[in-house]
Amino acid sequence: MMTLSLAVRNLLRNRRRSLATLLAMAIGSTSILLFGGYSANINYTMHTEYVQSGGHLQIQHRDFYLYGSGNPTAYAIADYTKIIADIKNDAVLKDMVQVITPTLQFGGIAGNYAAGVSRTIVGNGLVAKDINQMRRWNDFNLRTGSPPFALEGAAADAAIVGTGVARVLLLCEALKIANCPTPEAETPSDGDKLPDDIAQLGSLESQPASKTTNANDAGRIEVLAGTAKGAPNVASLKVIRAEEQGFKELDEIYIMMHLAQAQQLIYGSTPPKVSSIILQLSHSEQIPQALERIQPILAKYSKTQPLAVLDFKTLNPFYVQTIQMFDTIFGFIFALIGAIVLFTVGNTMNTAVVERTVEIGTLRAIGLRRAGIRQLFVTEGALLGLTGALLGVILALVVSGIVNQMGLTWAAPGSVVPLPLTLTVWGEYKMMVGTTVGLICIAILSAWVPAYRAAQLKVVDALRHV
Amino acid sequence: MSDKEPDNTPYQGPVALLTRVEKTYHMDSVSVPVIKGVDILVRPACFTVLLGPSGSGKTTLLNMFGCIDKPDAGEVMVAGCNVGELSDDALSDFRAKNIGFIFQNFNLLPVLSAYENIEYPLLLTGASAKTRADRVPKLLEAVGLADKAHHLPGQLSGGQRQRVAIARALVRKPKLVIADEPTANLDSETGAAILGLMRRMVDRFQISFIFSSHDSDVISAADDTIFLKDGRIRGIKRKGAEASP
Repeated sequence: MMTLSLAVRNLLRNRRRSLATLLAMAIGSTSILLFGGYSANINYTMHTEYVQSGGHLQIQHRDFYLYGSGNPTAYAIADYTKIIADIKNDAVLKDMVQVITPTLQFGGIAGNYAAGVSRTIVGNGLVAKDINQMRRWNDFNLRTGSPPFALEGAAADAAIVGTGVARVLLLCEALKIANCPTPEAETPSDGDKLPDDIAQLGSLESQPASKTTNANDAGRIEVLAGTAKGAPNVASLKVIRAEEQGFKELDEIYIMMHLAQAQQLIYGSTPPKVSSIILQLSHSEQIPQALERIQPILAKYSKTQPLAVLDFKTLNPFYVQTIQMFDTIFGFIFALIGAIVLFTVGNTMNTAVVERTVEIGTLRAIGLRRAGIRQLFVTEGALLGLTGALLGVILALVVSGIVNQMGLTWAAPGSVVPLPLTLTVWGEYKMMVGTTVGLICIAILSAWVPAYRAAQLKVVDALRHV
Repeated sequence: MSDKEPDNTPYQGPVALLTRVEKTYHMDSVSVPVIKGVDILVRPACFTVLLGPSGSGKTTLLNMFGCIDKPDAGEVMVAGCNVGELSDDALSDFRAKNIGFIFQNFNLLPVLSAYENIEYPLLLTGASAKTRADRVPKLLEAVGLADKAHHLPGQLSGGQRQRVAIARALVRKPKLVIADEPTANLDSETGAAILGLMRRMVDRFQISFIFSSHDSDVISAADDTIFLKDGRIRGIKRKGAEASP
């Protein structure tokens, strides 16, 4: 108590120097916390988007994750309704699982034959009602919200495509997509001109097609895919909406349709299968417990089909890589600011030791041990660290509160809508405590060397100091 | 250096005794012998003055009496304890218990009030709140600063600061009080008053004072006067006895 009281008074003795040190620490602490808040928000936003679109867990054929994209139907799950029923009936899982829904993924070719264009696609058959429910998951109470899934309540042949697919298949006008340019038609050169008789025949040939391109057919495409047995099959789909998929590569190949429609296309009259069963839990923390419960259920089916359950982090390595990158940057910033704090506090304490050398000699002469001197200066460093870090926390909370109220937005990689710029500092207690403790430790470390030097001073030399 | 603890049994002999003490300061390649085989005995409850010109070795001897410096040769006994055998921590504890210091520049802790400065040595030895509350006001009154208890050193005059320093030196009832030219930074009137105060404290608390001065006017206040020159004793005058070499 005596040491603490003396340390506080010593810090107040040179207020300007203490204040400058505190400000340096507070600004450093604020910077760390604000970046941490920004990083935390990116984590929560991505986490939410992945869970909303693909759930927390997916049950797949054991090899679907590695090889499924080459031949999705070869790694499909049979008897999926039984598996879903088993999970729904599990005493523990039924309370955890918010949505459980099957999906079917396949590859094919989509064509707008009226416009004479086609392209390869990845089709996804979904249960629209379940997808809509999944999109409402918001465990982190983010201010952003996903748009409702338009396939719910739509006709059985309805489809949603990526805006890139719509652009390539010349559907922009029919779907009234903004900022979706239609290519200018190429004017044939004289050399390319067809002979008159051939051109006349060509115009006659195109007339029936023109007649079929009525209002009902606007936005209609045909999807060609190989069935499970290897034969080609075609589905005529009515594109009701185009949704941007974030990444251009995905945006130009993605088509979503009702699961029944996709199963009809791939399996026809044979028993339908699915590529994966998506499970969305109430909370992400339930993943380990859910995994533990699901494994024995899947084991029951191991004789007929090898199944595996994967969490959303495994399924989305980009998420993990992004979080790791931000964690690394956070660590780098902390190290930089820690170094600044180390030298700032060290300099302050060094100056204090020099200025108070005679005082150190006096204290030692009247009976204070070396350890007492060390304790005094280390306490002063720790107090500087604690006060600076706490000031930083308060400042970070104030700044983040102001920024969060400003309504700023930013575009995250892979996100299709502008996201609110939110700095999640409040509630990140682990980060706040970690930063505070870290800075206090750095301050103590930087005070230790001057404190040790002060304690090692010879009493006579210290008293003689001018 | 051993970790031998100081002996706490009551001691009735000389308060301090230097035997064949030598000390040389080394500065770069130059060695300066400052104490050359000195023997001094400090009697209990006596006011002892080390008198001599600058460079005669007064402060070095006081530092040895105060256990904050060690001789190159010879032995230092304080309160019956051979302090050369004590570890640094044991020496700190020994000083805290047995020795009081009064410095030329007062050396009060500027962030503590007069009361707290006097109380601080008691806190170091873990004295109870009752002891502190009993002893500190009495000493403040004894040095005539009862009304300045809560003043910071910066709010006190030089003489008042030295009074606080005297009270601080006495608060733990030490065996020996070391005062290195305690009146050097004071005007003659205040210096005389401080000298008178120290004399009264010796008589009142029966504590041995040993202090240095180059002012021969202090001899009249002293019980024993030790004359120093060039690191050697040139004479010792004990009250009521002849000076001896």
